[in-house]
Amino acid sequence: MAGAVHVENEHSPRLPRGFERGRAARRRRDTAAALALVSPSVLLIGVFGIFPLFFTAYVSLFNWRLAGGRFLALGNYAELLGPGVLPLVGVVLSVGAIVAGALLVRHGADPSARSRRWTGLAVLAAGAASFVLVLPRLAAQGDSEVFDSFRVTVWYALLTVPVQLVAGLALALALTRKVRGRQLFRVVYLLPYVAPTVATAAIFQLLFSLRPDSSANQVLALLGIHPLQWLQEPGGIVPLLFGGGAGAGAVAPAGGVAPGVVASYWAQWASGPSLALVSIIFYSWWVFVGYYALIYINGLMAIPRQLYEAAEVDGAGPARRFLSITLPLLSPTTYFLTLLGVIGTFKAFTQLYVLRSPAAAAGTDTISVEVFFTFFRKARLGYAAAISLVLFLIVLGLTLLQQRTLERGVTYGE
Amino acid sequence: MGNEEGRVPEALAAALPRPRLTPARAALVALLAVGGLVAVSPFLYMASTSLKSLAETLTRVSPFPFQPDFWPKTPEWSNYAQAWTLASFSRYLRNSLVTAAVTAAAVGGTSCLAAYAFARIRFTGSRVLFSVLLATLIIPESVYLVPNFILVSRLGWYDRLAGLTVPFAANAFAIFLLRQFFAQVPREILESARMDGAGHLRSLFSMVVPLSSAPLFTVLFLTFLGSWNSLQWPLVATRTARWRPLTVGLTTFNSDAGPQNQLIMAGAVIAIIPVIVLYALAQKQFTEAIARTGIKG
Repeated sequence: MAGAVHVENEHSPRLPRGFERGRAARRRRDTAAALALVSPSVLLIGVFGIFPLFFTAYVSLFNWRLAGGRFLALGNYAELLGPGVLPLVGVVLSVGAIVAGALLVRHGADPSARSRRWTGLAVLAAGAASFVLVLPRLAAQGDSEVFDSFRVTVWYALLTVPVQLVAGLALALALTRKVRGRQLFRVVYLLPYVAPTVATAAIFQLLFSLRPDSSANQVLALLGIHPLQWLQEPGGIVPLLFGGGAGAGAVAPAGGVAPGVVASYWAQWASGPSLALVSIIFYSWWVFVGYYALIYINGLMAIPRQLYEAAEVDGAGPARRFLSITLPLLSPTTYFLTLLGVIGTFKAFTQLYVLRSPAAAAGTDTISVEVFFTFFRKARLGYAAAISLVLFLIVLGLTLLQQRTLERGVTYGE
Repeated sequence: MGNEEGRVPEALAAALPRPRLTPARAALVALLAVGGLVAVSPFLYMASTSLKSLAETLTRVSPFPFQPDFWPKTPEWSNYAQAWTLASFSRYLRNSLVTAAVTAAAVGGTSCLAAYAFARIRFTGSRVLFSVLLATLIIPESVYLVPNFILVSRLGWYDRLAGLTVPFAANAFAIFLLRQFFAQVPREILESARMDGAGHLRSLFSMVVPLSSAPLFTVLFLTFLGSWNSLQWPLVATRTARWRPLTVGLTTFNSDAGPQNQLIMAGAVIAIIPVIVLYALAQKQFTEAIARTGIKG
């Protein structure tokens, strides 16, 4: 490579005569040098980062075991999403309508476009209604294990990201005060994030074990509550909190009649995340709040002090200063953390693998864990490839959506 | 949340005596202390359990570090020796160390070269190429599991060091991060180097890299840590203890040790200590590295 990286020693590139020709030659040489410099990265990322995407798509068309297999065309996808195409089309259209409606509502914010806002609301409502009706049909005909893992992933994202954002910001605000020992606190709060996940998750495996003398159960005992199964508990937390069957009963009112596909599907949602997943969510809070705080501290430091001083002169109280200076100027940080957090949920593996118990696996396996076991335990490479591609499409969609919606609400400093 | 002292300019604040202890401030410190206790107690639990006897892990238990039952009566240091011999931890440690060091060095090299080209040389297709590389960052690891396993097996790298390192030897995020900093090196410095006849490689390694040691440290550090902590790919890409890293060793050890919590915790301590030592030595760079990538990402 070094040969291509020779440089032009033109001492005066601004000579008028032959200038154009010299510049073209220089440019060619520069391009050659640049290509030589980027080639190791491009080659490696190309082979192990870009090509695999297409290769996965190819593998997903086969009944691929460890040494290749029969061509199935879309057979894996039919197993994953069910044989009927209509429910899938329905779900995609519903999501499209929800997004389009939401965008119209946003555009309708200025008074000249009031009618658009109402159209937007109508489209949004129609999309949401059909989503509620069609998704259960897709789930009923598809692979129930994969759809369960999808539900787990959504619960995991919903209960980790927002909590970590709020707690992280609160902690960051506290740690930017002039508090004694705040440097020590910063170090301590980051420890859970810094330590290797396999090891810290192993600790939580003991803290939240089903033994009556596990730490979690001893704390419950102090509150007069009898021991729970924690990481081994596949049951949803809603019935656990409000007595058996209450969650399902509220959703499926049709007394003796067998509940329809739609009602029984949403009843599963209504029972909430499994207690096992909630235990893993506690772990996630413990790990990530300090990390979110660190990122927020950086954002807070970047806010010019004069803004606060000026606001104070204008008589703005602390709450007002927080709402109209701190929060808007932190929005790029919040945007970044939200994106990172949601994508992180779809990528999360280590803690879910370590804290997984066979008894509660259905309640804690997210999509990425499902892909892993389909490959690792069942050796169904083709099917795992198909699931991972659907996962990729979901992450891609979410990323694009977040870029469109959240980025607009982001105020960049200066 | 408004606390008047918080608004005193830094220079003035430094000259003032310690801030007054108002009830609000005391409450804040108390709250932070409770939170800090929550953050460290699991580590203390790990340390204390790793020093208990098997009987004590069953009878002397408490969730709170301020209760005597939380701690062992007499520390059983032999647990560590037992854990160490039960699993091939010395082998695993060496494997993790080599794998992480090789990966970090490779990423440092490849991304310095590429970042220099993207930041400092105007060439056709540079923007498109850069965006294509960056786009790979949103692809979840699960997508790579199947194709890269097939690829690595066909290359004969299954259960080999190459299989654990080569797929991760270049990283779009590292290129992105370094490019930001390489672009800030003043033009004049590079131009004067060129006048002296320095080629691109010379100006990269004698000018740009020394001026960007902090972000380069960040890249090396985070790559090392990422490799050290990775579990999913090594589970798939190793079969024997030959190159099996500590993470995989620890998870298999956990099932081998069965209900012997003291041994599992001793294993966890063994896995955590190298990282904590590194953190203690380079705490400032560590936080800066994480904060920097956080903000720039």
